[in-house]
Amino acid sequence: MKILKYAYALMLCALIASCSSDDDDGQDLTGQTGNIVLKFDNAVGDQDFIFGATYNKSNNESFQLNTLKYIVSNVRVKDSEGNTFLYPIEENAFIINEEDGNNAGEIYVTLDNVNAANYTEITFGIGIDQERFALGAEGQGDFLDLASEEGMMWNWSTGYRFVRLDGTFSSDTFTNEPLNVHMGSVGTSLDNYREVTLEFPNTVLVRENKTPQIHIVADIAKIFDGTTSVNLSDGYNQVHVSEETTPVIAANMQSMFMVHHVHND
Amino acid sequence: MNVFQNFKTIVLLLFLLVSSTAKAKEKDPNYTCPNNHILELLPCDLCGCSTSSGSFGFGTLSNANFIGVRYIYQNFESRYGIFDNSPKSKETFSTYQIWAQVPLNDKFYVTTNVPYQDLTREFQGSKENLNGLGDISAIGWYKLQFFKKQKTDGFTVDFNATKEPSGHSLQFGIGVKLPTGQFEEALANNVNPGFQVGTGSVDGIFSLGYNYGSDKIGVNTLMSYYLKGENKNEYQFGNQFSYSANVYTFFSTKKMNIMPFAGISGDVYDTITQYGETLQDTDGDILNASFGSELAVEKFIFGASYTLPIQQNLFGDNVESKQRFSVYVNFAL
Repeated sequence: MKILKYAYALMLCALIASCSSDDDDGQDLTGQTGNIVLKFDNAVGDQDFIFGATYNKSNNESFQLNTLKYIVSNVRVKDSEGNTFLYPIEENAFIINEEDGNNAGEIYVTLDNVNAANYTEITFGIGIDQERFALGAEGQGDFLDLASEEGMMWNWSTGYRFVRLDGTFSSDTFTNEPLNVHMGSVGTSLDNYREVTLEFPNTVLVRENKTPQIHIVADIAKIFDGTTSVNLSDGYNQVHVSEETTPVIAANMQSMFMVHHVHND
Repeated sequence: MNVFQNFKTIVLLLFLLVSSTAKAKEKDPNYTCPNNHILELLPCDLCGCSTSSGSFGFGTLSNANFIGVRYIYQNFESRYGIFDNSPKSKETFSTYQIWAQVPLNDKFYVTTNVPYQDLTREFQGSKENLNGLGDISAIGWYKLQFFKKQKTDGFTVDFNATKEPSGHSLQFGIGVKLPTGQFEEALANNVNPGFQVGTGSVDGIFSLGYNYGSDKIGVNTLMSYYLKGENKNEYQFGNQFSYSANVYTFFSTKKMNIMPFAGISGDVYDTITQYGETLQDTDGDILNASFGSELAVEKFIFGASYTLPIQQNLFGDNVESKQRFSVYVNFAL
């Protein structure tokens, strides 16, 4: 009887132990490329962002938006060995427009031909850096037209709008006053381009046959209540080219992104 | 060796069943994954394994031998997205099982469970369905029966006296859950990763039960640990601890025995790992209250139970178990 018991236990152990696989180790990935999908998902705190919804902020103020766009550029990912893959610079500028979201409110950016590797972090810029701007109108490629169509340009000398929030705000003293936050660099005199680096909660495995998805949440509330809390009724309802207000918004936007999770499919 | 022969027959039968069904369950052409792009976070194998889990019970109250059929209905609500205001989808799991407790001799017995899963998810008016053979499990048990203390006169012990059972017994079980249900990786990226007919893995099951039965009252407790294996997609559901405790009583008439019962049950899930890394918000726990009754008429045992969650925290609260009920008809062996 005991023998039977032990035999049974042994059989089970063997069965369980034989079921691990580690075929991904030591794989040669040279020359392999794959895609990465960045899913930008705008939020206000724990809530998915919705146009027209009223959101409370500090100083007893609230706001509603009907436009929400920002520019992301110079996207690059770093792998577990410290190598950085920079997406081709001429294609490396994107407008994240809430209106382009799918029914879950996610805006997709697909990076193709990314070197196969195990990536651990992502870095991207908010807005357009001075180097790209210095390439002149010709050097912007198709992005200049796109930005103009999307209302993300003032004019060539002033340059790009890095973020565009249009809507209304209310406070103790104002009701439904216009809210327009159009922050950017001002020509070459004011550089508001900022970068963010985000670590992945799980390794992003880019392979020939795998397209990992990186779900990035952008908390719009941080634009007003980020590193610095600003009062809409004290001039932050109209942010355009001011040397005082634009750098504050730029710094706040640096703190609004987080990688919520990744999918390795 | 009669025991050994019985055992061999059961293993052989099981093997035949598994190998025949494994071929039959090629990809279901009727099933297409609808919103692949939207698929979000993932929890545990609520369905694939838990329908064969200890928190559902492996057998009848009285620990009798039987073969029977059981139907389990469960529903869940899952958040379809990552935000507090994300819309919710509704999942309905129907499980049809053939289950049995077959004796090998007076100390050893085997319980087995062959489920057929029929899962439906409803989201914003559209429905998707997934069905097929689920994961078959089998557990071998050793029953340790306790006896009343023998009376001894002086220094002699009467070895021939028949020992009287005390009503207390312990059961030790060791078993396996096989990947007979199909696991689809695309589906695993769902909010409710339980939306699978199987886990795709070979899991070990280790159980310890304690039973007490008198002619008035019975107690039925069970603890099980599931050691989950990795499936071919390098996806590994979290190990699981299940427990249940039921108290029942008897009402006898000439024709039948009525046994109402009430108890608690629960599951604790460890985090899921994929490609050797743990995935966040994929652990969880749930505590349920259940009540029901069994009705024994001659060789037949009819049973029904209703289970309601008391407290739960499943997968970052992205999944909410609503209720479940089960009905079964067993034929005593």
